[in-house]
Amino acid sequence: MSDSIKTHTAGQVEIKAEGDIVAARRAVREAATQLGFGQTDVARIVTAASELARNVYRYAGEGVMHWRSVEQDARVAIELQFVDRGPGIVDVDLALKEGYSTGGGLGMGLPGAKRLADEMDIESAAGLGTTVTIKKWRRK
Amino acid sequence: MSVPGTNISVIKIRDILMVTMPPDPDDSTVAALQENVLTAMERYSAKGLILDLSSVETLDSFFARTVSETAQMVALMGGRTIIVGMQPAVAVTATQMGLTLSRIETALNVDRALDLYSGGVSPRIGGR
Repeated sequence: MSDSIKTHTAGQVEIKAEGDIVAARRAVREAATQLGFGQTDVARIVTAASELARNVYRYAGEGVMHWRSVEQDARVAIELQFVDRGPGIVDVDLALKEGYSTGGGLGMGLPGAKRLADEMDIESAAGLGTTVTIKKWRRK
Repeated sequence: MSVPGTNISVIKIRDILMVTMPPDPDDSTVAALQENVLTAMERYSAKGLILDLSSVETLDSFFARTVSETAQMVALMGGRTIIVGMQPAVAVTATQMGLTLSRIETALNVDRALDLYSGGVSPRIGGR
């Protein structure tokens, strides 16, 4: 059973107002700290969450962040999933390019979050919405 | 929820403005920083700004951009901005993200920043 995937703790934060970006950050900080992540990795994952929560609020108006802990082969990770039903990302490769923005931002959000996470997955369809999933493994 | 302007206090020490950012500011609080600082620059004919980030736990791209812009605006008004007290975890994260805070002076703490204002010590310029 060493390769079984277990989920221990989970939660979600609805993103409907600007202040919910802070709520998302707090939930992720608390969860990552409880899972035993080091201070720098907590800062990385919280900052990535802040970028992605802001993207949800700015581009889709509203959405939800799901978080959960994942255990695989005796390793622990935190997984964050940002789901919205906004306009979607037409060109994901372009959106991941640094400095590219359609929302008047710095164009650092998505590429920045990717650099801070260990894994990132983007599913998006024009007009249907976007789901961004990131994962960060706890260092032994 | 915080009301813009209420969380950011600008303190005047001689002719320098001191601002201490709260640990986890929302976007309106970050935006209020810019407005309050520029207003105070004019009102007090200040020489510059010391921005204390020692409590800040999350510096994301929006926050970093606002700090950069504020420093540029302060410079246009003839002032100098020195950022102090960034936590190690925050510095590591900002660098990894590619947030350079270019051309902003930095100091380890408020004491060192005040030394810079009184002259003698050559400043450190952050970023590229």
